[in-house]
Amino acid sequence: MGRRSGMTAASLAAVALALVTGCSDASEPATDKPAGEKSEITFMGWGSPQEVEVFETMIAQYEDRFPDVTVEYITVPAPDFNTKLQTMIGSGQTPDVFYLIPDYLMSWVDAGVLANMTDFVADNEMFDESNIWPAALATYSTDGKQTGVGDIYALPKDVGPWALAYNKELLDAAGITPATADDLWTWDEFTAAATAITAGEGTNKVYGTAGYSLESAVWSNGADWLNADLNKVTVTDPAFVEALQWVADLSLVEGVSPSQEEQESLGSTQRFIEGRIGMMGIGPWSQAQLWDEAEFEWDIMPWPVSPATGEEAVWFGGIGFAVSSSSKDTKAAMNLAAFLSVNEDAQRTNMEMGQAVPNLIDMTKNEFLSMDRAPANKAEFVRILEEYGRRPTQTKTFNPEWFSVFNSGLSAVYSGDMTAAEYASSVEAEMQDLLDKGIAEQDAS
Amino acid sequence: MANKNTSASMKTRERLWGLAFITPVVLQFLIFAAVPLTIAIVAAFTDWNIVRGSFEFVGLDNFVGFLNDKKFWTATANTAFMLLPIPFYLVLGVLFALGCHHNTPGNRIFRVLFFLPYVSSIVAVVVLWKWLFNYEYGLVNQVLMSWFGIQGPNWLGDPDWIKTTIVLMIIWKMIGITSIYVHAAMKNIPESFYEAARLDGASPVRMFFSITLPMLTPVLFFLTVVGIIGSLQTFVEVQLFTTDGGRNYSAGTVTYYIWQKAFVSSEMGYASAVAVMFGLAILAVTIFQFRMSKRWVYEGE
Repeated sequence: MGRRSGMTAASLAAVALALVTGCSDASEPATDKPAGEKSEITFMGWGSPQEVEVFETMIAQYEDRFPDVTVEYITVPAPDFNTKLQTMIGSGQTPDVFYLIPDYLMSWVDAGVLANMTDFVADNEMFDESNIWPAALATYSTDGKQTGVGDIYALPKDVGPWALAYNKELLDAAGITPATADDLWTWDEFTAAATAITAGEGTNKVYGTAGYSLESAVWSNGADWLNADLNKVTVTDPAFVEALQWVADLSLVEGVSPSQEEQESLGSTQRFIEGRIGMMGIGPWSQAQLWDEAEFEWDIMPWPVSPATGEEAVWFGGIGFAVSSSSKDTKAAMNLAAFLSVNEDAQRTNMEMGQAVPNLIDMTKNEFLSMDRAPANKAEFVRILEEYGRRPTQTKTFNPEWFSVFNSGLSAVYSGDMTAAEYASSVEAEMQDLLDKGIAEQDAS
Repeated sequence: MANKNTSASMKTRERLWGLAFITPVVLQFLIFAAVPLTIAIVAAFTDWNIVRGSFEFVGLDNFVGFLNDKKFWTATANTAFMLLPIPFYLVLGVLFALGCHHNTPGNRIFRVLFFLPYVSSIVAVVVLWKWLFNYEYGLVNQVLMSWFGIQGPNWLGDPDWIKTTIVLMIIWKMIGITSIYVHAAMKNIPESFYEAARLDGASPVRMFFSITLPMLTPVLFFLTVVGIIGSLQTFVEVQLFTTDGGRNYSAGTVTYYIWQKAFVSSEMGYASAVAVMFGLAILAVTIFQFRMSKRWVYEGE
């Protein structure tokens, strides 16, 4: 009786223990490391298989340079990234280095999640501040009241000028000469070119253009989502409405751009690669895919301008490498961020694999521009960065909620259910409300 | 040595053993159900935000907030729509179970085929359906075009059709498991009832409605209650089929709304408030069903 009950008691206790501990986090890193041992930092981001490969190469280079540090690289699919990051922050396991979307810069700085990198940038062994695109650093700077100035909270992963790519063969066949910096197109010339390219029916249909960049149209027409002080929504401004309607009409009236349903069935990038779209906006990261899959000659040209102002405008975007303020090894984390951002070998790899325009100005001017691969007119990427590119408006406010609500109903305009004017008036109040809420949150902190 | 087998010490020992056995289960309930539930109820009255780390009491602000949110009411209507599959798959499940019961030719193969969707990964199923129902290149629209000459609707993009597509997928998924439950219940109906009915000259249809169906009411009740609780919580389909709940939030359900608020906007307090309210609503519906069950469910001898 004694032996049996003893064993049963022991096994019961074991089961209870297993149930409780079996559910705990198995990936808890050891916290007690003797000094001088390797420190481990985590880096979290997303990317296509090609991108992930590039990053793994760069991380290996970093680990060679800093043998005391090992990096755990966690990839998460882009749509799930924010969710996973927030859960990790909430449970106190913020990755040491992670992708930062500029739209959230101010609210995350305010929440105290990001480490201040200003001192590191000014005095470090990795790079010279003046050799990085000022626009890129400005994207990740804030003084608490506005972005673009102040302390730096992230280093650029890339600067992504959004350029207008075109299928050379389709344009030649339609007898069109692409625009150049000295000979810009107006919207009418663009529409005419797109109309000339559009041909065919059903599965053979070729469209002149993919969806046009709304930012380029709006800004070129002299309008913007918000006023200069970033406290008033200005989407009902006639210039804004006109631009939005023109973009929608490219599909609804002119028929030179795929309809809403067609875009949902087959994405524009895929259509372009199949040679069924004449002109499309791309970022430098698309170079790799186009080199791989496009079987035609392609190049990039300047964005058309509004006949009203003749002003060039388009956005450049990007992602930053931010460092967690609760990192256990801030120095190693900042070094990793800097390495991925500006290390010459890493940048060169990125450039040669068609992922990006280098973050380093001298490398861009000396090596990128003379790379012998499409696009031949890659100087246009640089021109956007230096001359007419702008940071998107939603990255300048405390949070981009007001912008998300604008986008969530936008398809009504593109499908013709509402005119641009109707949509703008219907959504303005909600946008203003969210903008005000963001400003209130910002002032309260 | 004292006599170990006095009745008092035996009772104590038995009680101790009893406690020891229930400890793991009680622990599991406390840790994974009671504690999170309490946290959720408390959080419902705060402005808990994961990223900002705030946790201040705000009283009923969250409740007022979502009751005034147009999106929430759209989500409620969408969720109610998700109850639609239940009668359809119950009827189809019973019919199919009837076929299996009477050993209609091919019933074994179809049993496997119908059960496959239920055991398949939901992600795989959704990917499959996304391609089947693609506007331009999907099999469904291609067949409609070439066989019947009708241009099929934009199943996944059109706000008027996305919910229907999700409902169709749920019906297709649930027929298999429903028929298994019903078939098992059918096997339990005593043969003597049918013999008696046959002696009295009842037709097969009469036998179905007077014997089979009433005897199936307990399992149908179970399936209805579980089905309603499950349907009201539709989330995975919405998340996988649409980005952002579909155009005009045409597919967003309440659970999806809660998830968005909690993990996209980091507003845990607000999301908890909605979740608590929603949980109470489902509880009320379930209690109502149990009360009503006395009227139509056969309780047995």
